[in-house]
Amino acid sequence: MLIPWRSAWAVAGALAVAASVLAATVDESDLDTRTREVAKTLRCTVCQTETVWESGSPFAGQVRDAIRERLQQGQTPDEIRAYFLSRYGDYILMQPPTRGVNWIVWVGPFVLLFVGGLILYRSLARWVTPSLPPPAEPLDDASRQRIERELRS
Amino acid sequence: MTRAWQIILVGALLGLFALFYQGLWGNPRYIPTILIGTPAPVFAAPQVGSSDSLSLDQFKGKVVLLNFWASWCLECKLEHNNLLALNERFGRDPNFVMLGVNYQDKEPDALEYLRTYGSNFQHVRDVKGAIAFDYGVYGVPETFLIDQQGVIRCKTIGPIVGAVYDNYVQRVLPALLSGSPEQVGC
Repeated sequence: MLIPWRSAWAVAGALAVAASVLAATVDESDLDTRTREVAKTLRCTVCQTETVWESGSPFAGQVRDAIRERLQQGQTPDEIRAYFLSRYGDYILMQPPTRGVNWIVWVGPFVLLFVGGLILYRSLARWVTPSLPPPAEPLDDASRQRIERELRS
Repeated sequence: MTRAWQIILVGALLGLFALFYQGLWGNPRYIPTILIGTPAPVFAAPQVGSSDSLSLDQFKGKVVLLNFWASWCLECKLEHNNLLALNERFGRDPNFVMLGVNYQDKEPDALEYLRTYGSNFQHVRDVKGAIAFDYGVYGVPETFLIDQQGVIRCKTIGPIVGAVYDNYVQRVLPALLSGSPEQVGC
């Protein structure tokens, strides 16, 4: 049976209205969710391991402007760094400060290098030193008598 | 190798493994914030579409939901209906107020955005990003919850959707509005 065009448009319209009503209560569409899930796995490389000086992002531009403004107001570089540190924490600094658990970052690699070197040295020393066969165990009387018997026969 | 060295070695390897695990399988969006539990920085800024200024001081004694957004931000669009729904739900409480901070945006674009998607709360313009710096904002959307004593209790990076929205509705905002910020759990 063919559906009249007018009825089809009416149904489509009703569905569109229902969808818009539902859209107001549902957080996001399936496509939105999938897009977000894939996008979440991709890192923004522009914002990684760059200083605000090197970065072309708007955030970096505003930080640069703020630094300039604060310097013009007479703040010292340390005061400006302290301000950003107080707002963002250590994360804002390119070099983690040498305090607290940050010492692990500074000292850890050297400790690991030392321990690794020590283990490597001990292993190499063991490989290089010729290993002697273990001393033979003394024969017991029964074995000795058996060997002598076999030699005589 | 002595017993002590073996224990040290195993301990060091376990520590390294924990470090890698946290680095590789942790939530890459998680950025520690140092502002939770500290007084919310006070600001005064022009409203979107108006030269009138709005100050955070005006809302002293209220629970403030401060949302940083921009018209170019896709995730802001994602959470927009939920923000409207939050204000519908809690806006009747005289101790609750929502405030939008338009960040890194052009005013005409922000106005067009609000016209298109609707708005039931006030918005200010963060012209030079100064408010965002004060709140340690990395990007948009970011949402802060300030308790009635003016202390920052929560920070949400990303859109308020799904479980985050449910937590806001069911636990966080009711706890803050009932004056028990220690039970907020956000």
